[in-house]
Amino acid sequence: MTRSRNFAGYAEVAIILIAFALLWFAPLVVGDYWQQLGFRTLIYLTLAEGWNLMAGSAGLVSLGTSCFVGLGAYVAFGLLNGMGFPLPLTLGASAAAGAALAVLVSPALFRLRGLYFTVGTLALAELLRLIMVNVSAFGGASGIFLQNDPPALPVLFHYALGVALVASLAITACTRTRASVIFRAVRDDEDAAAQMGVRPFRVKLAAFAIASALAGMAGAVQGVKLGAIEPYGMFGLQWSIDTLTMVIIGGVGLRLGPLVGAVFLIALGEILADYPAAHIAIAGVILIVLIRFAPRGAVGFFGSMEQARRGRAAA
Amino acid sequence: MSLSGAPLLEASGLVKRYGGLVAIDHVDLTLASGTITGVIGPNGAGKSTLIGLIGGALAASQGSIRLEGRDVSRLAASERARAGIGRTYQIPRPFLDMSVEENLEVAQYSIAPFQSAASARREREALLERTGLADAAHLSAHALPLLRRKRLEVARALALKPKVVLLDEVGAGLVDSEITELIALIKSILDSKTAIVIVEHVIRVVRECCARSLVLNFGRMLVEGPTADILANDEVAAVYLGTHGAREKTPSRIPVSEEDLRATSEGTDAQRHLAPLIAPQETRSPAPALECRGVEAGYGQARVLKGVDLVVKEGEAVAILGANGAGKTTFARVITGALVPTAGSVHIGGRDVAGLPAHRIAGLGVTHCMEGRRIIPTLSVEENLRVAARGVDGSTARERLDAAYALFPVLAERRNSPGTSMSGGQQQMLAIARALMARPRLVIFDEISLGLAPVVMDKLYETLALLRQAGMTLVIIEQDVDRALALADQAYVLEHGAFSLSGKAADIAADPRLRHIYIGAEE
Repeated sequence: MTRSRNFAGYAEVAIILIAFALLWFAPLVVGDYWQQLGFRTLIYLTLAEGWNLMAGSAGLVSLGTSCFVGLGAYVAFGLLNGMGFPLPLTLGASAAAGAALAVLVSPALFRLRGLYFTVGTLALAELLRLIMVNVSAFGGASGIFLQNDPPALPVLFHYALGVALVASLAITACTRTRASVIFRAVRDDEDAAAQMGVRPFRVKLAAFAIASALAGMAGAVQGVKLGAIEPYGMFGLQWSIDTLTMVIIGGVGLRLGPLVGAVFLIALGEILADYPAAHIAIAGVILIVLIRFAPRGAVGFFGSMEQARRGRAAA
Repeated sequence: MSLSGAPLLEASGLVKRYGGLVAIDHVDLTLASGTITGVIGPNGAGKSTLIGLIGGALAASQGSIRLEGRDVSRLAASERARAGIGRTYQIPRPFLDMSVEENLEVAQYSIAPFQSAASARREREALLERTGLADAAHLSAHALPLLRRKRLEVARALALKPKVVLLDEVGAGLVDSEITELIALIKSILDSKTAIVIVEHVIRVVRECCARSLVLNFGRMLVEGPTADILANDEVAAVYLGTHGAREKTPSRIPVSEEDLRATSEGTDAQRHLAPLIAPQETRSPAPALECRGVEAGYGQARVLKGVDLVVKEGEAVAILGANGAGKTTFARVITGALVPTAGSVHIGGRDVAGLPAHRIAGLGVTHCMEGRRIIPTLSVEENLRVAARGVDGSTARERLDAAYALFPVLAERRNSPGTSMSGGQQQMLAIARALMARPRLVIFDEISLGLAPVVMDKLYETLALLRQAGMTLVIIEQDVDRALALADQAYVLEHGAFSLSGKAADIAADPRLRHIYIGAEE
């Protein structure tokens, strides 16, 4: 078991590295439209990977993604404008800020279990947004502009690629190593895990902090691309809803769930771009149908179909 | 080893209150290294609560717990586990989505995250070997049956390398040969640095493992002392062991001669009271109540039953015995239609029922009192009973309820409580009463004595004897050989999916081969 887990882990790292290396050359081949689309997919992939770690591995269902996206963007703008930080260092600082906020609020949030935790994260996101709206030092409701020009699109694409790579490798580290059994133990039965010596608080905090750091980085890159940020967009509930929808459509707790969900939802958005209302309605219908017939998402559904097919073939 | 010969674990003045209810009332417990302590007592006496308080799953309302002189009373369960207190759950709680091996990894890597993979694997292999799970290492915990999950509980607790091991009813449901293995396992855990606490209804485990024992009753310590004295104590016999347990070592038939019982007023009273719960016998039809011919069944690739023949006449009590995994419950599932046999025929009252859905078979008057009770937790006691009497008018249902309450008065007292809020024994009574609510012709009682105190088992078997007197046809699937054989007319012993022994219950009881199957001793 351990050996096969190690092997699968190395194979996964190799696949990720190869895939991202190939994508690195995408701007040489494809035009602006596809780079824009790729950028959005990579940002959402990062958010969805983090969300999936929380929900799928530690059982934490969060509606607070937007809170960390916004925080990352505001921290990045502060450092870029105020102190002239280089962008890579700024991304690191945004990640650190996300993780720090997660640690700071965890004693309060982790008192809440299940649905109450979810509502708690939603409240946190709203709280932060209201602070940004009302404190003029942070630009108030009209937001902040980036003083220097944002980098060119291919450069931004590469930054998004880098952030998504960090996310993918972090998740591999959490799901393919011995840490994965600890995460799953807490998700399956927190009390029984505690009786095995696992400290559930720390394990949940680790998942929350990693997800928040990833969201902080993603927010920073997104903010820099926009060149101007304001609270309603960066702290918008849409970030949280989209992320959650992607992971549920793709498959909660499954390695490929976030990727499949992110690609699917963004492709759907593009196909129906001319009918924005239909887009939302169709995504909603798909979500309902999936939860009814494939509670483990698209990846889980096709996985069990494949298993059944093999079962028939064997019989 | 702690210094200066201080006890390894010392709990003093432990109190646990749930609102007004005192579950544990000033209990003291001292464990020295290298000892095994038994905790016995009736269902609901607070034994599992005591385990929870020491393991840290529950916070004590009062009192202190010291491990090697260090006060651990305020520590969370995870910290106590790390300090060296390992426990098992009475109802196993494995991580179901993980393999057996991964279940152990949780404990290993939580206490030593940087242990080398090779040494951790060696430890796991040794642990699985010791607990008899070596062949299941890569199986999902979900695939393990109840008793192997119990072994996994023990293996997980040991993976912590604990100083204090708390075993909560790990012996329930095991047959004698398995109990022998369990006793050997428990003794092998013990070394000069470890202390073990066993909460157990299987008296043999307590007698053979524990030098000292204590008896809990209503949350209080009744007596404490050398195990031999405890088991000989009259007070203990009164609250816990009952009549049968006291002479457990001499397997003899309870005299349930029909003439005796019919003669007493109690017998006829019972019959009259029970009438609403028992379908009248089909006297005209010569067909047996149940007839199975060459039944084969299994799950997927696994063939569990390999050709089983069984005839149960009207009004007869039949015991089906056998070790765990022999196929007893699978057989019950075939009779009730939960599982479709792959070969052979099943006739109920002369009617071929193979392939009939379960609810149609239930309609023929067959009910299954399932292993593990299956009480619906969201329903009250009375609602649990009413659910089983669907399709009858209100006054008939009322009549049956009254008869069920007459059979088990304690259910009447608790009629509005949630079904699972009662003690294990009361829940089993509810399960039996529920099986009777459909006014069945034939009832399959599946492991009704599992995890119950000996006095409660006696009570339940007295009830079954009454049902038999009143003319009900009974199929009793049981680990507790003595009680089942004492009650039954005919007995069948399942071994590897086929009957290896069958005949009159009295003959089977005397047959040396039965001992061989159960004890596993070489002749």
